[in-house]
Amino acid sequence: MTLSVVLFAVLSILAIASALVTITSKHPIRSAMGLVFHFFMLAGLYLTLSAQFIAALQVLVYAGAIMVLVIFVIMLLNLGDEEKLKYKVNPRQVIGIFLGAALLVMLGTIYVTNVSVAGFNKEIAANIGTAQFLGNELYTKYIFPVEAIGILLTAAIVGAIVLAKRKLN
Amino acid sequence: MLQSIPLEYYLIISAVIFIIGSIGVITRRNAIIIFMSIELMLNAVNLTLVSFSSFLGDVSGQIFVFFVMSVAAAEAAIGLAIILALFRSKQTIYVDEVNLLKW
Amino acid sequence: MYNAVVNELIGSLGLIKPELALLVTFVVVIIADLIFKNNKVNLGLSILGTIVSGIFLIGMSGTNTSAFANLIAVDPFSEFFKYLILISTLIVLVMSEFSEELHNRDVWMGEYYMLVLGMALGMFLLAGATNLIMIYLALETMSMSSYILSGYTKEIKRSSEASLKYVIFGSLSSGIMIYGMSILFGMTGSLDLYAIQSYLAANGFFQPAIFISGLMVIAGFAYKISAVPFHFWTPDVYEGSPITITAYLSVASKAAGFAVLVRFIKLTFFDAAGSSDESWIMMNSIPWDMVLAVLAVATMTLGNIVALWQSNVKRMLAYSSIAHAGYLLMGIVVMTNTGLMSILVYFFFYLLMNFGAFIVVMLFAHKIGSEEMDDYEGIGYQAPVLASLLTLFLVSLTGLPPTAGFIGKLVLFGAVLDSGWYWLAVIGVLNSVVSLYYYAKVVRNMWLRKVDNGKGTLKFSIQSQALVMVLGIPTLVFGLFFGPIMRWAEHSVRIFLGN
Repeated sequence: MTLSVVLFAVLSILAIASALVTITSKHPIRSAMGLVFHFFMLAGLYLTLSAQFIAALQVLVYAGAIMVLVIFVIMLLNLGDEEKLKYKVNPRQVIGIFLGAALLVMLGTIYVTNVSVAGFNKEIAANIGTAQFLGNELYTKYIFPVEAIGILLTAAIVGAIVLAKRKLN
Repeated sequence: MLQSIPLEYYLIISAVIFIIGSIGVITRRNAIIIFMSIELMLNAVNLTLVSFSSFLGDVSGQIFVFFVMSVAAAEAAIGLAIILALFRSKQTIYVDEVNLLKW
Repeated sequence: MYNAVVNELIGSLGLIKPELALLVTFVVVIIADLIFKNNKVNLGLSILGTIVSGIFLIGMSGTNTSAFANLIAVDPFSEFFKYLILISTLIVLVMSEFSEELHNRDVWMGEYYMLVLGMALGMFLLAGATNLIMIYLALETMSMSSYILSGYTKEIKRSSEASLKYVIFGSLSSGIMIYGMSILFGMTGSLDLYAIQSYLAANGFFQPAIFISGLMVIAGFAYKISAVPFHFWTPDVYEGSPITITAYLSVASKAAGFAVLVRFIKLTFFDAAGSSDESWIMMNSIPWDMVLAVLAVATMTLGNIVALWQSNVKRMLAYSSIAHAGYLLMGIVVMTNTGLMSILVYFFFYLLMNFGAFIVVMLFAHKIGSEEMDDYEGIGYQAPVLASLLTLFLVSLTGLPPTAGFIGKLVLFGAVLDSGWYWLAVIGVLNSVVSLYYYAKVVRNMWLRKVDNGKGTLKFSIQSQALVMVLGIPTLVFGLFFGPIMRWAEHSVRIFLGN
């Protein structure tokens, strides 16, 4: 057991556990906290893959921006526990678990097949994971998508304002 | 030292997270928790992309992650605005109580 | 190195002039809304921008190349879909001017026009995207605008519900799609469709992983074209959205979905070198034709059978648009250029008749305050002109002569029969027969029930009737003189296959 294996095991077990907390908690705030924790664990996993820049973005964008928004809305709506959480067998849940199992089998087959990928090379991985390398690619080869996402974000900002602002009559 | 973890492990972790997310989307009633489950699914995708990217030594996977994150942020903003609009008119965010139109 | 990059960029900018025209309009409209606060100015600017974009598009006709280092293709195939999108956008903009549900409330029209243009821009990019990143971004640009627009008249309760359902199902399916994309990237080591294709060509054995990830990507597109089993959102969103947006979603958004579906399958899973126009060769022995055939049969059968029970005309048209997606999928199943041409022809006619039907339903709803089939009883004698035109559109949607819809179906079924998919053609024809029943129900209610209900005639403005005429006359004319459209479609089947 090297240190990296221990690190990987701890991070991934905590990531899965916090994901489970997210989808099973009665109270939305508890779900949200589970999700924030999950984001940090994933950022850790990205670091084990030498993707520093993405790890930093993960914390900044997901934990710092998206989750703040979510928690803000939960607080604003002042939601309590789900009152009706009596677990009767509900067709939607049966479908959900069935689909989940089907997906698992499907994805299982994928990984059993063969992932013919060259091994992990720390030098190369650490080199491409830097802000400099990523920025260079983004603003040369992928400049067009970067500009295109500006359209998407503009539309989203305008749309969110239109939807949330409403005259009370 | 870090080379000792094979790619398959990362992929399995991400598949498990993806499935947890999709079960959450289908089984939960609270629209906000449904959105959080969708974020879980997107994160699983990101993990797959980053691990492939690092193992292949190809940066385009991480570029994709960059775009997925931006879209996820926009989607969260829109989704939450819609939830707010719905809450104002119906005083609920439980998807099974929203039944003016059939599911 | 940077000089080369800059030169490439400047060269590519010349290839996306129609998109740039739309982009400029997108920005100008929102600024003009702040300055003038006048609805007419916004509408005028939006229409102007659409027309300018169309002029640029005409100027580029026949271009067959790739821009931005294989991120998007500019080819006759995408050009055809761009025309469809522009015509739809123009009709929606004009139609919005007549819509009471948008005007009699406190609706922000400047933002509305801007988002319609944003959606058109997303569809333009989607029609040409040849890189997985570009496909995802274009799809999301289009979706993001449509999520907002479907909830635009949010004071109406069902409208915000519709957009909640739309956004939940939409994010779920795009999540599945990018998971497929991520696996495809890992297996083949590239995001570029051409590079993925050449990797698959070099490793020509069946890999379940490739098959499953391909299915997952197709699931994301199937959501956009509302194919079974990703159709759940369609009836609710179509019923709950403003009717202008319903019409836009049922035509333009579906067209963009088909464009990317065809391009993705053709570029990724077919042997570029070995395929001829007459038969495309599949690689890795993955039976995509069978997958799509099953999808087509399920889609059209479900759409038609559920439509039988609908009492709301808007909802009935939603299920009918699901059924039409099923017919159109048959054109991909046959995997020939003739099949592709039949899709293009069918789509052009579908645009005319579907928009026509939605506009008449909207105008009737203004006068009788209802979209229920029962309230249409005797309306034929109250509004003879519009009711006749609605009859024409419904006959055309069924696919009966002498309308354009008949020619569309004829070409489509001809292509299916030519390539030997007899059972598929039989199911398609049976489905058309079923569809006759529910279209005829509307026609019967309009003309044969309550013939003299004593209500006075309904008055419609000349402009609104003219708009319906503009769609109605071609529906009839192209049913007889379909040659030009066929030739146009024949020239437009060329997909850019890489350098």
